[in-house]
Amino acid sequence: MSELRQIAIYGKGGIGKSTTTQNLTAGLVEHGKKVMVVGCDPKADSTRLLLGGLAQKTVLDTIREEGEDIELDRILKEGYGGTRCVESGGPEPGVGCAGRGIITSINMLENLGAYTDDLDYVFYDVLGDVVCGGFAMPIREGKAKEIYIVASGEMMALYAANNISKGIKRYARTGGVRLGGIICNSRNVDRELDLLRAFAKELGTKLLYFVPRDNIVQHAEINKKTVIEYKPDSNQAQEYRNLAQAVIENKDFVIPTPMTQERLEEILMEYGMMELADDYKI
Amino acid sequence: MSVNLNNSNLATRENRIGSITGYVGTLKDLASKSECGTLKGCSRCFSQSSTCLSMCGLSQLAGIRDVAIIHHGPAGCSVTSAGSYYMSKVMSKKRNVTSNTVYVGTDMNENDTIFGSTRVLKDVILKVNERYSPKAIFVSSSCATGIIGEDIDSIVDEVKEEISVPIVAVHCEGFKSRIWATGFDISDHAVLQAIVQPPRENAKTNKIAFKNFFESARPEIIEMFKKFDLDPIFLYCNSTVEELSHLSECIATTCICGTLGNYLGNALEEKYNVPYVRSINQCGIKGFETWLREIGKVTNRSEVIEEYIKEQREIYLPQIEEVKKELQGLTAVLGMGPGYTFEVTRVLNELGIKVVWALAWHYDKKYENGDVPPSMKYLLDNDIDFETSVADQQNYEVMNILNKYQPDMYLSRHPGSTVWAIKNGTPVVFVADEYTMFGYKHTLEFAKSILDATRNRNFEQNLAKRSKLPYTKWWYEQNVDAFLEEAK
Repeated sequence: MSELRQIAIYGKGGIGKSTTTQNLTAGLVEHGKKVMVVGCDPKADSTRLLLGGLAQKTVLDTIREEGEDIELDRILKEGYGGTRCVESGGPEPGVGCAGRGIITSINMLENLGAYTDDLDYVFYDVLGDVVCGGFAMPIREGKAKEIYIVASGEMMALYAANNISKGIKRYARTGGVRLGGIICNSRNVDRELDLLRAFAKELGTKLLYFVPRDNIVQHAEINKKTVIEYKPDSNQAQEYRNLAQAVIENKDFVIPTPMTQERLEEILMEYGMMELADDYKI
Repeated sequence: MSVNLNNSNLATRENRIGSITGYVGTLKDLASKSECGTLKGCSRCFSQSSTCLSMCGLSQLAGIRDVAIIHHGPAGCSVTSAGSYYMSKVMSKKRNVTSNTVYVGTDMNENDTIFGSTRVLKDVILKVNERYSPKAIFVSSSCATGIIGEDIDSIVDEVKEEISVPIVAVHCEGFKSRIWATGFDISDHAVLQAIVQPPRENAKTNKIAFKNFFESARPEIIEMFKKFDLDPIFLYCNSTVEELSHLSECIATTCICGTLGNYLGNALEEKYNVPYVRSINQCGIKGFETWLREIGKVTNRSEVIEEYIKEQREIYLPQIEEVKKELQGLTAVLGMGPGYTFEVTRVLNELGIKVVWALAWHYDKKYENGDVPPSMKYLLDNDIDFETSVADQQNYEVMNILNKYQPDMYLSRHPGSTVWAIKNGTPVVFVADEYTMFGYKHTLEFAKSILDATRNRNFEQNLAKRSKLPYTKWWYEQNVDAFLEEAK
């Protein structure tokens, strides 16, 4: 029985954290790993592909409607390949405090005994912009010790990744959290691989895996499935298996060295500008 | 100043009038930096104590008779209600009136914080209205509701249709300002927004709005004003919603303390042309006379007021002069709010007592109309200078000064502060009642009590002998600004 690895996935909103996390989870399941996915986004869409739809009742909805005296199976649903799926959820948009909601949900999961000994991995899929302390909860208090940032070659994705690294650095001193690497969810921008490698190096980490862009991901999403479940024989399914392998084998955990805005822009200038400057085809 | 009564959220003193909570220097330096705009407040890397502006604001409102304060927050935030409730009951009893004011908390819990609890708030408002029939309802925020951005304004708007009495949102999150006096302004803002009505036609009266704390000199002020054909309305302790609704019809507004009355006075002047009496306050002879003459000017009653001054002078001045002889050369340190710090300094100066250091809890660079506070201006015009600091009620700073200067007396208006001075062996004159040195009579009494306190020092000496203070020799050797951080 190996030690439980608790992993938080961060990254700019819309970058593909939930998609990557769920496909990665499916890859780990194929390796025989026992995984729990905790969605930490009020939108509660982090487990849709594993559960085959948004059937999940969130922790906070359950607390709101049934009070705090609840059983674990009310909030924890089994999904693809025996993964355990939980959605923290949140208040209605524009009211209350979603950040406090994350704190309450994770505490509730602990109290209800969701972290069983047979688990190999717990993933926290966190809202894109870590807007307040609540969304940093998964990396505080010794929960997730391992973080991956999902990014692409787009400027704002790297900007967000750099900011997230600042947060990791802060909690690294006290909570022992470390950055495991950058996962590129490709957007097919110019020299993306080089740019991501250079960016990761500057952060003191590595590009853990480069997931190419493939429309099959879209098709799988529409079918409420991970790519591995939807088309197990596809190239993209193999890419996610490789990503899972990379996570399993990863031993490089660092305290990141976030860069200044000026340095970030220098890297972008160096790698992001092609000589064919006027060719804007995507 | 521009009063915006359309917005329930009032900016802090720091933002509106450049108030600060940290400074060490001299009065002249403080004033000249304020005037030329270079004064920057310092923060502290260590703070021993503080007061919440919410307590300050809501206790003012809770003094009004027959209203409801609904404090939307966790029970702990509403804890100051006990003090306010007690005070409002005692004060109404003292004046022999009945106040049915209630103070209700909404007892937010963790789930309310996550999901918001405006529905609960609405229910509480309607229930309070039904159960207590208050004459006005003040719905206050707290730190918790402030952080989650609870929309109390829309709930207040929503229930307006169901409730026939004035109801208003009061935004007093404690973290908004380090200066608790911001709470005074917030309470004024709420009263102006919800209760004060435009003047009725031809309704100008001989009423004068008198903002004070606990109206202990009420009977004698009524008596005095009768001679001038003026009728004072004391605010907010024991005032009624009906009285407050007609504040716009008053002939003038005056106050006992610039820190307390500045916002209301200026706002009534700006909105309804009610003149605000801007003078040094009623403490001491000079203050009392200047204030009365200003009222004479504003209300066109100078002649009768001059007669009164002449008559009173004859009775009291010789007596005061007699006591003054005994006070010459005594030294004093004082620690109080900025309004009283500079007013009391002036009175002590009048009595021949030298202020060696004054600690103001905060400092307002200017008042709402853009002027330097009159109390400050008076000292400067009369070339009175002394060492001063802005101390944010930090007791360790007070003790450092008392230990260094070993003055003949320490004066403070805040409970708790004086106890420490006594343990230090320093005689104390506690001037909590705002009328302690009001006018001729009380100035005489004040002078006598100083004489008593400084002549009989047994109490302080014995207590000091038997008390061990927590401060080390190291701290007493430090400059008082040791924990102040450089202004940014």
